[in-house]
Amino acid sequence: MGKPGPEKQITPVTMHAAAQGEKHRRTTTPRLLLLLGPAVAIISVLFGGGLLLGLLQALGYRPQDGLVSLSFEYFAAVGADPYFFKSLALTFYISATSTAIAALLSVATALFMHFKAAQNRLLHFILQIPLTVPHLVVAISMFMLLTPSGLFSRLLCRAGIISSPAAFPLLVNDPFGISILTVYIWKEVPFITFMVLTVLKSMETELLEAGASLGATPMQRFRHIILPTIAPSLGSGCFIVFAFTFGAFEVPYLLGRTFPLTMPVWSYKNFSDIDLAARPAGIAIGIIIAATVIISLFFSQLLLNYSRNREARS
Amino acid sequence: MNVNFSGFNYLTIAVLIFLVCNLPQLCPAEDEIPDWDSAVADSSGQTVNWYMWGGSPAVNRYVNGYLARELKNRFNINLRQVPVKDIAEIVSKLMVEKAAGKNSGGSVDLMWINGENFRTCKRENLLFGPFADVLPNQRFVDWHNPAVENDFGTPVAGMESPWGSAQFVMIYDSARTPDPPTTIADLIRWIIKHPGRFSYPAPPDFTGSAFVRHFFYHTGAPEKWQQGYNEAELKESADSTYAILNDLKPFLWREGSTYPDSPVRLNSLFVDNEIDFSFSYHQGEATRNILDGIFPDTVRTYVFDEGTIANTHFVAIPFNAENKEGAMVVANFLLSPEAQYKKAEPDVWGDFPVVSTTRLPVEWQEKFNTRPRGVATLDDQQLQSHQLPEPPSDILVYLEKGWENQVLKSR
Repeated sequence: MGKPGPEKQITPVTMHAAAQGEKHRRTTTPRLLLLLGPAVAIISVLFGGGLLLGLLQALGYRPQDGLVSLSFEYFAAVGADPYFFKSLALTFYISATSTAIAALLSVATALFMHFKAAQNRLLHFILQIPLTVPHLVVAISMFMLLTPSGLFSRLLCRAGIISSPAAFPLLVNDPFGISILTVYIWKEVPFITFMVLTVLKSMETELLEAGASLGATPMQRFRHIILPTIAPSLGSGCFIVFAFTFGAFEVPYLLGRTFPLTMPVWSYKNFSDIDLAARPAGIAIGIIIAATVIISLFFSQLLLNYSRNREARS
Repeated sequence: MNVNFSGFNYLTIAVLIFLVCNLPQLCPAEDEIPDWDSAVADSSGQTVNWYMWGGSPAVNRYVNGYLARELKNRFNINLRQVPVKDIAEIVSKLMVEKAAGKNSGGSVDLMWINGENFRTCKRENLLFGPFADVLPNQRFVDWHNPAVENDFGTPVAGMESPWGSAQFVMIYDSARTPDPPTTIADLIRWIIKHPGRFSYPAPPDFTGSAFVRHFFYHTGAPEKWQQGYNEAELKESADSTYAILNDLKPFLWREGSTYPDSPVRLNSLFVDNEIDFSFSYHQGEATRNILDGIFPDTVRTYVFDEGTIANTHFVAIPFNAENKEGAMVVANFLLSPEAQYKKAEPDVWGDFPVVSTTRLPVEWQEKFNTRPRGVATLDDQQLQSHQLPEPPSDILVYLEKGWENQVLKSR
């Protein structure tokens, strides 16, 4: 007599869920337009419009000065600048390195949190802190902590570990952008971790159990079961982070060197140059950054779609 | 209810005014300069947004404290300081507004400006004026002084109103460096003898750029550049300037691989004992910083034997400023003997007065001549006998570009 009870209870719940799913699917196009319209309109006008105006200016379209013909002159000039590749390489180096290191750390953190500390609220809380702190604040903190005259250097000096503040290793305005990388990694690890964690949580445990019972080592289970499962989300998250760091201005502006500059800082410098002729070049660099960011986000979306389709298939 | 109603009324009036003002035949032309009495009458109750470089706590305090208080009390004007890192940002902003046809209701009412930024503004018609001759306190200014009549070689022509003047001084700690090098040539030798102990902010930073101009003057006679030089002479002098700076690179802080981005940063390197010299385009800043506890008491300033560059700084009103009358009243008050005197006090700001002492009422002449100076500020006599003029803005921009291409990027 104990068995039918729960069964009876399950049925209405499933029905309800199914009905909700049905309702969800029945959302009509007009309704969808109404719901998404305002947000999409704002984004397309403010972002798309700005991008279009920027593109026109970068192509030399300045009707107020009587220049109405379009040319790729500024893009060509930017591309021909020997400085362009240095800047591009530096920007790419910073974005790629910080993304790669953040990805590695995130996978490790996510695995640990999922398998060893799923109930640890404190850890979840600590991990959420970086998400809420603006990049600007982190950059300034790093500056105060890591410069040769910063807090760490002074503490080490006081403790007698280094002889003078000048003996402190160069971590800010340094050739390798160590402080910039640190800021990005600190900020992006929680972001990617939570993306990976979501997938891990929804992962079926059967595969892992089957793997274990067939004698797969933890390493083998990670390589052949966990990694393929989290890969699309991880990749997607990485592309988002890459896109962000590629286009971000404030951190390299504060912690970078006078030369070479990252692309966003270079663009700003040209745009705010007292010589107005430098402006279209600044915008042209901005357009190149935007193109890179859009391509990166496109890949991110591609990976997300792939993982969604895969879920649907299974 | 009442409040709502009147709010509605104001809105209607605003809309009507807006509509009327868009009919060109009914509205006075934008550029019409009000006479002084009507400017004072219209300015009451206005909020003047003053965009200015905000990197000096002393200046900020003077503006937000004394000036804001006096303007509120005397003229019922609300002064609102908007600090920026470089006024060039605002010039860019005005360019964009000009291009977009935003000819009124601009957010900038007054800006602190000079040199190449003024030149750009004047060339691109971004300024309201000439308004300076309308201000009654202009009578205290000596307009025949070349540093007031021309702003970095650009005729002022009433498009900006002088506020103060400044002279470049070297800053050192007498406890650390008892015997500082007093010529450029000696400074070069000193830098080579003390590797890693000197740096300068990277041009186009205002102060860094001024420092580089002293090296440029070192390569030839400073007077030569005021007029009548040719392109080849400029290139020759500029190239030898870059050569000197490139040769010094390995002896600079961090071997010249990077530079401080501002004088603020330069000062902190100096007090953190990373480098031995700072400098300022302001003769009173070192005293100011001692009083603020930023510099140790042993810090002193000096000028090079061959002289240091001096200039005048101004305020200007953008073409589309919303509160032009208020801005004019503020510009006028800045020139009053009391405001100029307050500004010159070492524990306030210590800025050079731009008013000519001999044109002031007798009781003020007395006060100005006997004013206290502060421990690290040189006296007027020492400063004025070592003043060099700024070169025209073209040269300044030429040097900034050249420095970037030939010193910064040549590695």
